[in-house]
Amino acid sequence: MVCHHYPQLDSVEAVKERFNTAGYICTQQIATVVYLASALNKPVLIEGPPGVGKTELAKTCAAVVAKPLVRLQCYEGLDEAKALYEWKYGKQLLYTQILKERLGLLLEGADTLQASLARLHASGDAFYAREFLEPRPLLKALEQPDGAVLLIDEIDKSDAEFESLLLEVLSDFQLSIPELGTVSAQSKPLVFLTSNDTRELSDALKRRCLHLHIDFPSIDLERQILAQRVPDLQQTLTDKLVRFVHSIRGLDLKKAPAVSETLDWARSLLLLHATDLDENTVRQTLNVLLKYEEDIQTADSQMNALLRTLESA
Amino acid sequence: MNASIGSDRLLNFIQFLRARDVAVSPADSLDAIHVASLLGYDDRQQLAQGLAAVLAKSRQDRIAFDVAFEQFFSVDVGQDNTQESEAVDRADARGDTDTHDLRAAQNIEDENRSASPLDTLAANDAQVAELLKSPLVQDLRDGQEANLALAIEQAAAKAQLETMQRFTQRGQFMRAMLDAVGELPLRQAAARLEHTEPEAFDELQQIREQLRSRIRNRIERGYLLHAQGATERFLDEALEQVRLSNVSPYQQARMRKLIERMARKLASRHGRRRRKTRRGQLNIPKTLRTANATDGIPFVPQWRQIERRKPQIMAICDVSGSVAAYAKFLLMFLYALQDVLPRTRSFAFSSQLGEVTEWFEQLPIDSAINQVNLSYGGATDYGRAFQDFNELALNDINSGTTVIILGDGRNNDCDPRLDLLAQIHSRCRRLIWLNPETRRAWGTGDSAMPGIIKHCHIATECNNLKQLQRIVDKLLADTRSH
Repeated sequence: MVCHHYPQLDSVEAVKERFNTAGYICTQQIATVVYLASALNKPVLIEGPPGVGKTELAKTCAAVVAKPLVRLQCYEGLDEAKALYEWKYGKQLLYTQILKERLGLLLEGADTLQASLARLHASGDAFYAREFLEPRPLLKALEQPDGAVLLIDEIDKSDAEFESLLLEVLSDFQLSIPELGTVSAQSKPLVFLTSNDTRELSDALKRRCLHLHIDFPSIDLERQILAQRVPDLQQTLTDKLVRFVHSIRGLDLKKAPAVSETLDWARSLLLLHATDLDENTVRQTLNVLLKYEEDIQTADSQMNALLRTLESA
Repeated sequence: MNASIGSDRLLNFIQFLRARDVAVSPADSLDAIHVASLLGYDDRQQLAQGLAAVLAKSRQDRIAFDVAFEQFFSVDVGQDNTQESEAVDRADARGDTDTHDLRAAQNIEDENRSASPLDTLAANDAQVAELLKSPLVQDLRDGQEANLALAIEQAAAKAQLETMQRFTQRGQFMRAMLDAVGELPLRQAAARLEHTEPEAFDELQQIREQLRSRIRNRIERGYLLHAQGATERFLDEALEQVRLSNVSPYQQARMRKLIERMARKLASRHGRRRRKTRRGQLNIPKTLRTANATDGIPFVPQWRQIERRKPQIMAICDVSGSVAAYAKFLLMFLYALQDVLPRTRSFAFSSQLGEVTEWFEQLPIDSAINQVNLSYGGATDYGRAFQDFNELALNDINSGTTVIILGDGRNNDCDPRLDLLAQIHSRCRRLIWLNPETRRAWGTGDSAMPGIIKHCHIATECNNLKQLQRIVDKLLADTRSH
């Protein structure tokens, strides 16, 4: 098997730089893990609160290595027919029909039962042929000739049984199809799994992965991300905005705003031509940042304090 | 740097992590060695992050890992060449900043030394002169930190300090390290000089004391590093086997941690189980796929639905004086398992019985337990308790319910109303009686156990954490499979 190498990811610094150019500012931690993933050929299990850029990391990675991104969204009840492969049963039925019609032709001249059977065996069994196989994301990722980036999103939403299905793919980059045998990866894909930590994953799965925990970014990092993603926003406003979001994360909220919410908020402010973060603007746009009514009320009641810290800093 | 030394240290580190309850498999160790060889040892931060990616499997692990990495890699000075030269560099750097002071100090030292009793003695005594020339003594007198640290590290390796298990082993390792570092000639010289040359003897003793205190420090750090984990484990093991009523208040916190850890383990072993149903929505692709074998005729229909079992546990705890301590730990265990047993209901009684589920859902576990003891403590009356329970909850018991009763079965010679117990037995999936008394005591005096056993699916003795864990394990295995 060809061990595919991703030359774009051949050192920690290179990863950092290339991701940066692709619009994803990564910490030392993230860069190290991505580098190790490509060097050791191991899947990466990314954990962290929603909206900190777990999925984005995989997407950026696909862009950086210029390989197709194959995505598998997990949900409760996801089974192998949707994740690995499926037989095209309709075509298989048609095939048996055709076989029946052609049977006379095939067996012409074979006068004993033995001879007919021998003829039948010799003709080959196409019923479980590769042509009748419908590849689902996992098989598709293995079949990419030049490697790919495989994103298994929200693995914690799937059932525990599904995890065991993944193990073979994750550790050996191969898939056993009972009717066909083992399909090995043409070239090993880079695999990212994301989890929101809604349930404990099995030890077997964890053992096969590199672990990356992404938390909310520091003020400095978030400012950089904003400058990168929403470059048109004034720098003073960006600065205020980030500090405001950080103090909001300090409140007791049902769901703290993540980076994606900060970005959305920055874009909304840009659209509204806001120049400063005053009480009015904040109140009007708070629903972009906070997704629960209770959270908005909590923030509302402490608005003055929040804005004051902004002034004093 | 030498790769084999590097991986040795890494393996030591992994040992160290394991002692801190981070599970590291041999395959993980191999990965860690790969990571270290890929990243190199130059960038400490990067190495820490890389190793964390393969060794720390959860957030808890990560916290433990960060602390451990800090502890482990900050203690060692020397031992390998890079670090030694770093230490020397540091010493040099120090020298640069205050060259003047250092020189001045050296001058003073030189003067002092020329006047010191040992030096005067060395002029006449060849053995002492020899001793003073030895590198160890010179380093000690000059305060060559880097060299001393190196010598002590080597001695620690020779004395196998990492095998230290208990704090009481300090003396033994002290001796071993003193020998390893080459203190013997010093000791002999001291013995010889003690009566003849008191001044020189004093100075020599000072030097020896200096060495001893350095080694003592190293041993204490080594203990913190290597043995503390082992001692903790030792304590945990002891605690698992001690009678639950003997657990003293100051061990409660440790006990809780232990219970939570056990519960986590059990919960992950008995994760959600599901099984296929035989009714519901038809799964057409699957049905057709199986129909392929029968020429497209669907003989075996396949269904979409998957049934999720909802086991329910009802815990009935005697909280009268003799059994209260046990009830506390049973409840702690059950509520630590909320993830896998979300529908636990608990009841407490001594004579009266009442449902206490709400308290456990709303209050932190300790205050809930206090509340229970306060409200339901008193003398035991099983008959009354069963009557109350049947009125309260008998109708909610179905074939998926497991009822656990914790009590010593001593009913102060009243009628235990076993007919009521029989009712519970006939309705529930499983009735488990846990008795803190040893089996031999069942049936003696006012114990009603012989009668009770007849109405239980399982009656077992349960008085330490190990037994409790075994029972909960069985319980989970049982409630999750049909």
